[in-house]
Amino acid sequence: MRPLFITWEYPPYKAGGIAAHCEDLATTMASQGHEPVVITYGEREEKEYRDGVEIHRVPANDHADNTISWAMSLADRMEKKGIHLARQKNFDLIHGHDWMAVPAATGLKKTLDLPMVFTVHSTQKGRDGIDSDYQRAIHNLEWYGTYEASEVITVGRDFCDEVKDNYNVSDKKINYIPNGVNLEKFDETNASLQRNNFALDWEQIVLFVGRMYPQKGPGHLIEAMPHILEEKPEAKFVMCGSGATEHYKGIAKDQVGDKVHFPGYVSDQALVGLMKEAEITVAPSVYEPFGIVPLEAAACETATVGSYTGGMKDTIVHEYTGLHTYPEDSGSISHQVSRALNDPGWSDWLGDNARERVEDNFRWEQISAWTTGVYTQALE
Amino acid sequence: MKVVFLARKFEDGDKISEYVKSLAEALVERGHGAAIIAFDDGAYYSIDKRVEVIRTDLHYEGDSLYSWSMMLNNEMKEKARELLEDREFDIIHANDWSTVPGATAMKEYLDRPMVLTIHSTENERGFSDPNSSLISEMEWKGCKSADKVLVNSEDTLNSVKFDLEVPEEKVKIKDPILDAWPEPALKIYESLINVEEVKN
Repeated sequence: MRPLFITWEYPPYKAGGIAAHCEDLATTMASQGHEPVVITYGEREEKEYRDGVEIHRVPANDHADNTISWAMSLADRMEKKGIHLARQKNFDLIHGHDWMAVPAATGLKKTLDLPMVFTVHSTQKGRDGIDSDYQRAIHNLEWYGTYEASEVITVGRDFCDEVKDNYNVSDKKINYIPNGVNLEKFDETNASLQRNNFALDWEQIVLFVGRMYPQKGPGHLIEAMPHILEEKPEAKFVMCGSGATEHYKGIAKDQVGDKVHFPGYVSDQALVGLMKEAEITVAPSVYEPFGIVPLEAAACETATVGSYTGGMKDTIVHEYTGLHTYPEDSGSISHQVSRALNDPGWSDWLGDNARERVEDNFRWEQISAWTTGVYTQALE
Repeated sequence: MKVVFLARKFEDGDKISEYVKSLAEALVERGHGAAIIAFDDGAYYSIDKRVEVIRTDLHYEGDSLYSWSMMLNNEMKEKARELLEDREFDIIHANDWSTVPGATAMKEYLDRPMVLTIHSTENERGFSDPNSSLISEMEWKGCKSADKVLVNSEDTLNSVKFDLEVPEEKVKIKDPILDAWPEPALKIYESLINVEEVKN
């Protein structure tokens, strides 16, 4: 099959999880004999072939009033690129990812008369609400994407219900396909970490990876830090991610001083090293449609303490591959992190189980096969 | 000869609507075909029954005229493709920036001649919309893609030439208020059809 992916981010451009998702999915599809073509954003117009995937980049107009206008303007260029390509090769369908892809994906669907599949990675309502005109316009675009799509894919089991309720999507066209992890990428990464840059020899690394926004819950972990240190002075908190870093850094430093470290930009290689070195990762998200961190940590044989919310209800099995906490509850985080740190043998066992479970259930080969199955439904 | 017109709205008394209506009625009077694709805003209009008026619905409110128009054009593309591809319409005639995305998509995909009338440019309007830069870019793209650009006045001609960098030979003033109207516009359609025939 030859799907045309529309995504505003594709590595090396990465802002959230959509880039990695699209790359892993497209690459795996290509390895299975399909011919995915990707149209995405770039600083200049260019074309490249990577890992069997044809990638086309188009620039955006940077004079847009806001992100919606920016996405609309980018969409016009993406669509023209898609039409140009369609005159040379036949696509089977359009596969759009999240609201920023909706204008281009629906435009191509209507121009080329092709079916469209739409993956919802998160919702505006869940991210930060639909109170302003701007937020409602994004929500409206998300609805429009689900309305126009022949098949809708959601990345979390609970999230599937959220999408159905938010946009009145019928059971017939909604599908749950989890995200996956490219285990080889983690296994092959040479994780020669300069551990001393992050923690002292005797310290146990408690790792947070994610954008520093309320949705990801870094504040709840920071609130729990003093209590964890009372129980376990060996703990050292390493907070990786972009966003409102300075804001959270100020609060955390006030609370626990040198026992927390914000390393700023961390390379993919160092991040894998940190995940392998960490005693435990913590994912204190308030809202998380899927939550890739527990799976990436699992690939590194590290267990995750994560909120019992959204996709993490599935990606963490309590007391088997990690530990669940109550969402937005620093006491619960403190309790579960202390449990894991107090028994390193047990947390190693949790990490081993997590890796085994990822190998059995979250491989891209399987996810790609499910996705092409959805494509077949869309073509019927 | 069959021409499909794109207009953001179509209602009696609206300047662009009247312009489109005059061309469409002149075409059917002479035994040609004409269809108008416009947003379904429930407005009243009167037109020769031989002109097909296709209203597009849009379930998107947006937060700006720019984003709303971009999504409206997606709906227009579907209707225009059906006319051009399935019912053998020959020419697409867009009106102002708000119908450029649909017209250029059809031009790119089906390789049909495209006429664009710029009734006024964003520069003439004062460049005062938060998305003026994107709107002006859309005008520029439309002029670049169009086979012929029509304007109604000397002022717009100058703006199109200097602000949108349209070469002089591509743009024509065809003022619908003059007596000869709409013959000059119909001649442009004919010349584009003739070029297509030569190409084929």
